[in-house]
Amino acid sequence: MRSLGSVLLALVMLFLLGPFVVIVIAGLSSGETLAFPPPGLSLRWVAKVFEVESFRAAFGVSMLLGVGATLVALVLGVPAAYALDRYKVPGGEAVRSIVTAPIIVPGIIVGLALLRFLLVPLGLPVMLGLFLGHTALLIPYAVRIVSASLNNLRVDIEEAAILLGASRAGAFFRIVLPNIRSGIVAAFILGFVTSFNQVPVSLFLSGPGVTTLPIEMLSYMEFNYDPSVAALSALLALLSLAVVVVAERLLGLSRYV
Amino acid sequence: MLVRTILGATAALMLTGTAHAADKPTLTVSVFGISQDVYKRDLYTPFEAKCGCTVVIEAGNASERLAKLEANKANPVVDVTAIADFVALDAAKKGLLQPIDTGKLANFGKLYDIAKDPLGDKMAVGYTFYSTSIVYRTDKVKIASWKDLFQPALKGRVALPNIATTQAPILLSMLDKALGGTTPDYGKAIDAIAANKGDIVTFYARGAQVPQLMEQEEIFAAVVGRFDWPSIRKVQMPIAWATPTEGMGGGMNVLAIVKGSKQVDLAHQFIDYWLSEEVQTKISNALVDSPANKDVKLADDKAQALTYGADTVASLKLIKPADLLDNREKWLAGWNGKVAR
Amino acid sequence: MFEKRSIGLALVLPAALFVALGFLLPVGLLLAESFRTPAGWSLAYFTTFFADPLNQAVFLRTLRLGLTVTAVCLVVGYAAALAITGLGPAARGRFVGVLILPLMISPVARTYAWVVILGRTGLLNVLVLKLGLSDEPLRILFTETAVFLGLVQLFFPLAVLPLLSALENLPADVVPAARVLGASWLRVFWQIILPLTREGLVVGGTLVFVGSLTAYITPAMLGGSKVLMLETLLYQRVSVANDFVSAGVISVILIVMSIATNVLLRRLAAGRRAGGAHA
Repeated sequence: MRSLGSVLLALVMLFLLGPFVVIVIAGLSSGETLAFPPPGLSLRWVAKVFEVESFRAAFGVSMLLGVGATLVALVLGVPAAYALDRYKVPGGEAVRSIVTAPIIVPGIIVGLALLRFLLVPLGLPVMLGLFLGHTALLIPYAVRIVSASLNNLRVDIEEAAILLGASRAGAFFRIVLPNIRSGIVAAFILGFVTSFNQVPVSLFLSGPGVTTLPIEMLSYMEFNYDPSVAALSALLALLSLAVVVVAERLLGLSRYV
Repeated sequence: MLVRTILGATAALMLTGTAHAADKPTLTVSVFGISQDVYKRDLYTPFEAKCGCTVVIEAGNASERLAKLEANKANPVVDVTAIADFVALDAAKKGLLQPIDTGKLANFGKLYDIAKDPLGDKMAVGYTFYSTSIVYRTDKVKIASWKDLFQPALKGRVALPNIATTQAPILLSMLDKALGGTTPDYGKAIDAIAANKGDIVTFYARGAQVPQLMEQEEIFAAVVGRFDWPSIRKVQMPIAWATPTEGMGGGMNVLAIVKGSKQVDLAHQFIDYWLSEEVQTKISNALVDSPANKDVKLADDKAQALTYGADTVASLKLIKPADLLDNREKWLAGWNGKVAR
Repeated sequence: MFEKRSIGLALVLPAALFVALGFLLPVGLLLAESFRTPAGWSLAYFTTFFADPLNQAVFLRTLRLGLTVTAVCLVVGYAAALAITGLGPAARGRFVGVLILPLMISPVARTYAWVVILGRTGLLNVLVLKLGLSDEPLRILFTETAVFLGLVQLFFPLAVLPLLSALENLPADVVPAARVLGASWLRVFWQIILPLTREGLVVGGTLVFVGSLTAYITPAMLGGSKVLMLETLLYQRVSVANDFVSAGVISVILIVMSIATNVLLRRLAAGRRAGGAHA
């Protein structure tokens, strides 16, 4: 039984992590084309990744979008989660359904709907469309994760502070916020990663000159056949690894996934 | 602090969409995604230096870019589009293009005659021609005819263009001719592809997939346009360009100005520059596009690789864009009913 | 619980308005359009859509892949979760890390690896030929098998994580007690462990099923135009033919299936809220 379990876990590990090893090795190829195993190892395609201007531009868009959309989603989501948890909001359950609705709508539909009924009729810029779509997608994450943190925080500490003369806002900023900080940071990391890796929402919302990194990778791949996308994939995987390790050390991210 | 950061980030987000407008004029050009490094070096960057403007590129295949053009009809984002002739005609019929003032093009007179007004009403000018044929592994198969696409050795080893690509109608017309078809619905070609569809590895959406499929030995043969040949040649395998007995197919790509463009002057300058002897020579020498400018002189080895010279151009049997478009419903219906299902 | 409703409302309102105007409204308009034909409100677009054999095939393929991917993820995931709970706390933590890591990595990168592995000269075929399992390299890329493998790898963690937390929440003494009373391991599993972890199965199953139905990158990269799923068909209809009617119909189908599955989840696992990073 035991050994059977170990074999299974080894296979699962291989299945989950093996592809990343493959992509890292393919990205370090010295050959002209994507081949596995590669003819030799070199860093030329890693260097190429930094030279391709469209990758740099798309990386900038993705970073800006990830940070901006996550921050706005938190600014909107934290008060909403707090109110839903602590106040009797009229139609509370309905409101909760509204703010968490974006999570169950497939991303491609969000993109298409925003393009057709918001961007095109109102003539809005491409970046704003991406920003709206990503923020809407991230609000449910912010609300859910912060709600979970609030659930673990006892109401009476806050009430005590108010009894002792703190204003309600003061109690929120001095007592509640510091206590749910790790939840907010977790929400930020998950939100950023979700936005950064998002493809379906961005598919219809990208425009000339404004493309997110994953979309740019897909389109580069369609017109070029060299290992630079593999090299970029490997770099992104290492970046994610670093984020996960740091986040796990700092706040035990696994509790929030 | 947090609030200020967020406001800053939001403001930055809003601005990026319109940032270009503040400093330099921006010309948005929609192109096929292939060989962008060459275009950037030989066309976009020198043009930016000349005009003091910023060139923004949208890349994609013809049908995708036509769909975007249509979706953004009320607020066009693209100024100049480089696209296949029959797709441009489709766009013109949908009212998405505006006529070109050929008087503003210094290089107009230097174009081959068939490139001067391929759509009528001065809606577009041709910038390149290409042939379409079969690339194949010489160590695995022999290709002498379009019919050889369905030989036993190629079962499960051949890729054809997807119906949405510009190469698909060219393939259909040549294959149909080879099979003795005479109807504009390409019925014989579609029946043949439908009968063999289980043996076709994939219907590719982009020609750039072909070298990858060759390299991974997914395929031994594929139907492609000449513009994909340079990247296919790089694959370290014995690969040849077939000259089928029925002849090669071919097509023309054109430049057109989008209706509602706010940079009409700049658009004309850009088109004129693209058609100039200087740019056409450089792009031809990189084996990316064959020249549409008569004055371009090429060395023999380059000329061999391209569709070059007055005689070659005169012998091109291009399908008339209007014929292709008029019968499109018929062959699309045939394809969707028999091949796609 | 504080009483002032107005403050509560003021705090929720910005988020609710943002989602309502910037999200629900456009999505609602998109969905409504699918029922509004020139002849009035009707299901005509849906009957036309399903009359096309290509659309039928894509719909059935999407369902088939969704169900098989979910089944495999749950069965293998359950076994893996059981094995992980049997480990010490340090090893368990490491495995949870291994499960979470892929969720954080760009799905484009994750899927791209399979292109390298499954090709005819790819890693898998090199092994198959070396081991003599086949005389010829297998054609896997651009088949349903490739899409299936890609989806299983993508969503496997989403199946295991809820199962793991369900197993960890099992009352510690139930299993030993039953064993002491003479129940066989299999009987303990069927009659005690499985019913008590039903919730984990439901949560994991829903996440995987909905994820597979609405996956875009995996079918686009590993399936191509011959193995279309609903999302890739939607993109193709819009980008190639400006066919917003079919796109709207597919949107309705996808949303109905997602919501139906989620409602089913709430029914089966009443009360518990599920979270998960969607790929």
